[in-house]
Amino acid sequence: MHAAVGAGIWVGAVLLITRLVPFERRLQLALLGVPVMLAVAATAWLASRPGPGVLMSLADQSLGLKERLSTAWERRASSGLMDDLQRLDALQHAKRARLARAFPMRVNRREVGVLAMVAVAALLLAILPNPMDRLLAQQRADAASQAAAANAVHAVEAKIAANATTVPPDPKVQKILGATEKQIRQAPDPRQALQAISPAEQQLLQLSDPQTPARTSTAQNLANSLSATKAGKAAGQALTASPAKGAQALRELASQLQSLSPQERAQLAQALATAAQHAQDPAMAASLSRASSALAAGDYAAAAAALSDMASQLDSLQAQQNTDAQVAAAINSLEAARQGLAAQADRDAAAASGGAGAGASPGAGAGASPGASPGNGNNSGNGNGSGNGGSGSGGSSGHGNSGSGTGSGTGSKPSEKLFVPGQPVPGQFENDPTPLGPGQDVPLTPYTQVVQAYGKAALDATDQSLIPGSERDLVREYFSTLGAS
Amino acid sequence: MIAEEPRVDPKKVTELATSLETELGRLIVGQKELLRDTVIALIGGGHILLEGVPGLGKTMLVRSLGQALDLTFSRIQFTPDLMPADIVGTNIIREDSGRREFEYQPGPIFANLVLADEVNRATPKTQSALLEAMQERTVTVGNETRALPVPFFVLATQNPIELEGTYPLPEAQLDRFFFKALVPFPSETELLEIARRTTGATIPELHAIGDAESIIAAQQVAREVPIAEHVLRYAGRLIIATHPSRTELDSVRKYVRYGASPRGLQTLVLAGKVRALLEGRYNVAFEDVAAVARPALRHRVFLQFEAEADGVTTDQIIDEVLERTTKESASP
Repeated sequence: MHAAVGAGIWVGAVLLITRLVPFERRLQLALLGVPVMLAVAATAWLASRPGPGVLMSLADQSLGLKERLSTAWERRASSGLMDDLQRLDALQHAKRARLARAFPMRVNRREVGVLAMVAVAALLLAILPNPMDRLLAQQRADAASQAAAANAVHAVEAKIAANATTVPPDPKVQKILGATEKQIRQAPDPRQALQAISPAEQQLLQLSDPQTPARTSTAQNLANSLSATKAGKAAGQALTASPAKGAQALRELASQLQSLSPQERAQLAQALATAAQHAQDPAMAASLSRASSALAAGDYAAAAAALSDMASQLDSLQAQQNTDAQVAAAINSLEAARQGLAAQADRDAAAASGGAGAGASPGAGAGASPGASPGNGNNSGNGNGSGNGGSGSGGSSGHGNSGSGTGSGTGSKPSEKLFVPGQPVPGQFENDPTPLGPGQDVPLTPYTQVVQAYGKAALDATDQSLIPGSERDLVREYFSTLGAS
Repeated sequence: MIAEEPRVDPKKVTELATSLETELGRLIVGQKELLRDTVIALIGGGHILLEGVPGLGKTMLVRSLGQALDLTFSRIQFTPDLMPADIVGTNIIREDSGRREFEYQPGPIFANLVLADEVNRATPKTQSALLEAMQERTVTVGNETRALPVPFFVLATQNPIELEGTYPLPEAQLDRFFFKALVPFPSETELLEIARRTTGATIPELHAIGDAESIIAAQQVAREVPIAEHVLRYAGRLIIATHPSRTELDSVRKYVRYGASPRGLQTLVLAGKVRALLEGRYNVAFEDVAAVARPALRHRVFLQFEAEADGVTTDQIIDEVLERTTKESASP
């Protein structure tokens, strides 16, 4: 009975505590109390159980055996006629007695009452919905989304490493991806995990060279120009295939300059000059120009040196392209991770707003939404409620610094005008001549078109953002009203 | 420790005791408790002090006991002028062929059953002669010590009233009695039965159902009855509880002058063993000890004057001691 009461209290306490503190395996923990309490009760009984002599004495008293059993037990090692008779007498009387009478199962009413109350309470706690279930489900979903995001990042990291034979992996990219994956995994929730992505993207973007497109274009122009010549045709084709191959072919061409015919050299000089003229990269243009001039002047050594220099730049271009490709893949993976995490964070926010009421929802929903949204934003939020708004991080698809938060904590007041960077602002267009923000250089567009387009873009953005469900309706309503007016 | 093997079957002791009680019951009307106490004392090897007013059958009880057991019986009427030699015997001068010599003439104490009637009427000197014989079971006359017959069983009587001119037995001598049994006045039904049995044409005659040997054997067997340690402890607690300096009972502290002696504990245990046999059991139970507590202790617990003033009897004190001394506390 003690064990049952103890087990009941254990189960009830576990079920009660797990209503206050989220715990995944509460049922297992609760059921663990049954064997634990049985073991505790058994141990306590073993430790405190009366000795055989006491038991015999108790049996004597309970069964009215008049100390027959206790005497027989005490003199169990003695021999003699009297002892034999005494044991026989005790045995005969014990056989006639009912053991259950000696040790009746006494039920303590108070204990039974406590057990019943505890059992009912435990049953109710087990049956009634546990508010922590939703939190646990959310935690599981959070963990799953974070794991999926981290796995996506890891997959790209592994893929880059797997292609090491063809394209050497950039250790910086690997390092950034590894660190980001770790941060995502270790983040307490998707929202925190999201915060690891933007810095990673920024770091990855810093690995890109802004001159790469120009250099690529220059290389392509060189390839085209060389393809048109007899001597440089092979080099041009190689360059078209890849900068690295092109670099190798240029080096070969440089070593063969003296063996070319004057006509071929002239043709080659012309091609190089043409390429230099169209080159968008100054360094490459200089090298090509030097090579062309030297070749035209018959200075083969200088021409060869210039071509080797160009080849080196092509090698560098190849390396940069490789890095860019890895950066692009990494950013894509981070974007995929961002989408999954943002969706989960959005669901979390929606759940929080549903559970905590309207007061808490606006603040939770506004913060991260701009990062995932493709649109541009500024620091002005619009809405009501309390919380944080107006801050966000731009992803690969957007360069805005914030979105349209709904929190009033840092958001603008309803009376302030709404400005949309890159598009005509209704308020400014009609009344305010003061140019505002990044949208001032955008060509003016009819008001209705701007509102319609902007509203559509905003509505699309809300579907992918971290704005809670209830706030989405508010946002939609806002834009709908705006369009109608 | 291996106990000594009983010489006779313990069942036969039970049968003997039961038969003896039955046989005595044929002549003695009622007095079941007295008969039981007498048999217990007899088999326990102790002497018994019977207290009761005259005419309640004390002498008849002893006489009947002698008949039922085929034992030698003598009766000594104690009077103030009774001398020790009148009890233990004396050397007399005998002339044989012109030669005079002392010859010992045994006194009435040389019997298996001795009735010391109104023992408190003799002088202390005479009382002590009897009590010494009771204790030592020998008699010394002159320079020669003579053993008393075995079994030797003294039943002394005393009258609780008519105390004038009596010599109450001192505490040390009272302690030598195994039991002190009270002979109550019979009930009305018993009185009528006494009248029927004793005023008819014939008086029931008792048959001998045992002898000295059977009594000795029974005494031997009784000592073999085992007693559990916790039961023994219970008996010890009872004795301790009668001592005003050792007890927790207010009544004992207030009314008792001296508690029971160790001899009281011996009596409790031995009498408990005999009672167990009489009950057909081969071990001493709590109830055996409790049942013999009154006759075993009532002459060993000495009360203060306040007890007499408040009308408190020794039996009341013993009852309270029995009630308050829990058996559970004595359990192993």
